[in-house]
Amino acid sequence: MTVVAPVLETNPLREGLEQERVPDASCLVIFGASGDLTHRKLLPALYSLAHDGLLPSGQTIIGFARPDYTDDAFRMDIREACNKYARTRPVDEAVWENFAKGLFYVQGDFGDSAAYLRLKEKLAECDKTRGTGGRRLYYLAVPPNFFPVICEFLGGEGMVTDPERGGPYTRAIIEKPFGHDLASAKELNRVAVTTFRERQVFRIDHYLGKETVQNLMVLRFANGIFEPFWNRQYIDHVQLTVAESLGVEKRGNYFDNAGIARDIIQNHMLQLLSLTAMEPPVAFDADAVRDEKVKVLRALREFPKGNEESMAVRGQYTDGSVLGELAAGYRKEENVRPDSHTETFAALKVYIDNWRWADVPFYLRAGKRLPKRVTDISIQFRPAPYPLFKKVSGVRTQPNVLAIRIQPDEGISLKFDSKVPGPVVRTAPVTMEFRYATSFGAEPPEAYERLLLETMLGDSTLFARRDEVETAWAWLDPLLTAWAADSRLPDAYPAGTWGPDAADALLAADGRKWRRP
Amino acid sequence: MTADELTSGEDVKVDSATIEETLAELWRVEKKDHDNAVTRAALWNVVAHSATPEHHTEASEVLGKASIAVPQRTIVVRATPAGPTEMSSWISANCHLLGEGKQVCSEEISIIAGGDRVERVPPLVAALLIPDMPVAVWWLGDLPHENAAYVAALLEPADRLIVDSAAFDNPADLEIVARVAQKTMTAPADLNWIRLEEWRIATASLFDPPEMRSKLAHVRRIRILTDSMQQNFFGERVEGLLFASWILAQAGCEIERVDLEIEERQSLRRGLLRVGVTMEDGSVAYVERDLERGILVTRYDGHVIVPEGVTRAQKRTTDQLIVRELKDPSSDRLLLKVLPVSVELAKRVA
Repeated sequence: MTVVAPVLETNPLREGLEQERVPDASCLVIFGASGDLTHRKLLPALYSLAHDGLLPSGQTIIGFARPDYTDDAFRMDIREACNKYARTRPVDEAVWENFAKGLFYVQGDFGDSAAYLRLKEKLAECDKTRGTGGRRLYYLAVPPNFFPVICEFLGGEGMVTDPERGGPYTRAIIEKPFGHDLASAKELNRVAVTTFRERQVFRIDHYLGKETVQNLMVLRFANGIFEPFWNRQYIDHVQLTVAESLGVEKRGNYFDNAGIARDIIQNHMLQLLSLTAMEPPVAFDADAVRDEKVKVLRALREFPKGNEESMAVRGQYTDGSVLGELAAGYRKEENVRPDSHTETFAALKVYIDNWRWADVPFYLRAGKRLPKRVTDISIQFRPAPYPLFKKVSGVRTQPNVLAIRIQPDEGISLKFDSKVPGPVVRTAPVTMEFRYATSFGAEPPEAYERLLLETMLGDSTLFARRDEVETAWAWLDPLLTAWAADSRLPDAYPAGTWGPDAADALLAADGRKWRRP
Repeated sequence: MTADELTSGEDVKVDSATIEETLAELWRVEKKDHDNAVTRAALWNVVAHSATPEHHTEASEVLGKASIAVPQRTIVVRATPAGPTEMSSWISANCHLLGEGKQVCSEEISIIAGGDRVERVPPLVAALLIPDMPVAVWWLGDLPHENAAYVAALLEPADRLIVDSAAFDNPADLEIVARVAQKTMTAPADLNWIRLEEWRIATASLFDPPEMRSKLAHVRRIRILTDSMQQNFFGERVEGLLFASWILAQAGCEIERVDLEIEERQSLRRGLLRVGVTMEDGSVAYVERDLERGILVTRYDGHVIVPEGVTRAQKRTTDQLIVRELKDPSSDRLLLKVLPVSVELAKRVA
């Protein structure tokens, strides 16, 4: 009699290794493999994962796109991209050689059924030769209008399986934008769930792959000292800034139809906001974390209809200079309408109507062509309850600020007042700083590396869930509708400044001002 | 003495009783003169213990490099109980540029003690540790089998004891480390174990496919070929012993049921060269070093599809091994599991 040993859930030899979480080998199919995202981000990230020993030896990647490539031509193309963009560049010859053995290309149009048959054959062949066991990941690196046709063919050709129905896993990875508004987001989600179940869908917001964004949860919930103060009793207000020094570059076509609110606020900023404001999840797992995030989004106060201006400012950059270089105004950018009303800057005053945050304003600002590229969250605390030093000349106490720098120069600083040494009582603000670069030295992995690995491992904690996306749109949609109906131009601001005056006025009306990040 | 002298990397002699005050004063002057150009940083207290001038110099150089990646207060001790009576101390700073003209500096304190003054070293070291920072004691060279009270006093504040079992001349040294793990709050760390990391990654990759995992319980033979610079020296075989112990500990195999063979090949370098793990069904998982390409190549002769794999395996310098160890804030629980097995295997192999 043959005794069959039980299959272990995990590989015990992985214990204690940095590469503890290595997924089972699978076939990752990238739709849109000839595009910019694939070359700049996806394949370089996958190569870096292989370089660091985080991919299984049988991992297989199949590029699917219209241009006519052979496997070898595709490999050469990708090698060049990895040499240019991978974190672990230049490519290591031995690692590349092995990585390239798992790299294939299938030529085809997204609407061509014969192409899907060729893909299906290639997938079956890889299962036999590379031990991928029918496990599939479909990365839709294509504009959202191609989602329906790709999903339809994948479903129709029987290329989607589900462990709950006895098959190996299939997962779909979708890139933002997740819609243009609430209606289109709902439609995209509807299309996705006709072929996949919600838990098979991974919506990528690359901000969630950043180490510093993930550290937000660690800072709040792994330390005992912050959470007791993390509420309306101690916090005066919160500021979130996502500033870019660049203009729209080559994305004029897309951006002019989107604007900064759709491009940054609806996704990245609301993710930062919800991670900053959410309640402690009951567990560190995908649904528990996302349940708490979506509760924050549901508690966002609606914009006052007809008086949106009291809570929201929009701007558009004009000629100016950024970091010493002349910068043309937005309307002069390539592929931007010369009479465009699209906002390149937005500042919002947001309230979260719940027990923890009642009446604590969250000020959000995002913009292009601002003085520098910086993303940061600053928690501004209330002043001490009794001004003990009020009558002492030379003492001007300032509120404590906990600043979390998401990028660049990632770190956390805490500002507090201290006595200036000397015989008289005088105070000055001082800062305690933690910098990732100083403390940990090593370069953190790229966001896409982390996110791709998580999709292979099947952990969706760092991905947006359907209700998150739809709730975010439901809150933002009325503001976008009001802006669209407003014939006035967004407030102008010269490139290289921190936005229009109205943004300052938004805070000044509350007796506050923007922190200089 | 000026702050500039300190940050230049030069050693400056100071009175042992005023080391801390001198450092504080120098940083105060530095701050006054250069505003925020220099940042003091420390994540660890690292105490390097040596008995010879060569090891003392090595420790200083290695930790100077390591402090770039892991800022630390470094205390380098040279203690020679049999030497002339002496006690002297020196300070310096290991600085590196962070960008925008800013420097990050870690302090280094050097203590040289001889004769009966050696007994004064542990309390002096204890006084110089930065509070609320973990403490690692790096013991250079072979482990002492005498002066137990001195060693215990030095290890008393230590969260971690770093050794290099490649320098062990006797299986009893492994037992000492295993005993530290069992009987004290100090977690052992072994640079030789860290050298195995790539081998572990490569071997683990062979057992990633779900069908391969179940084979682990049926390991029957482990055959190791290792390069050796000094044949029949115990330390040359420890890496192989640790590797085999790891497989057995993780696979849950009974030691007695597995054949172990460690073959040494005379060479100008040391380290594992090839490993073969044979399963009950006769299939064999191989890991082999390709020296020229700086990789480990894995292959499997059996019925499961496991494509050939490649793991980067560049030779790591001692400071890189130390950095790797200090980067992990928690103790290595796996090593605690592996050590007792390696003690058993060492007896068998010996």
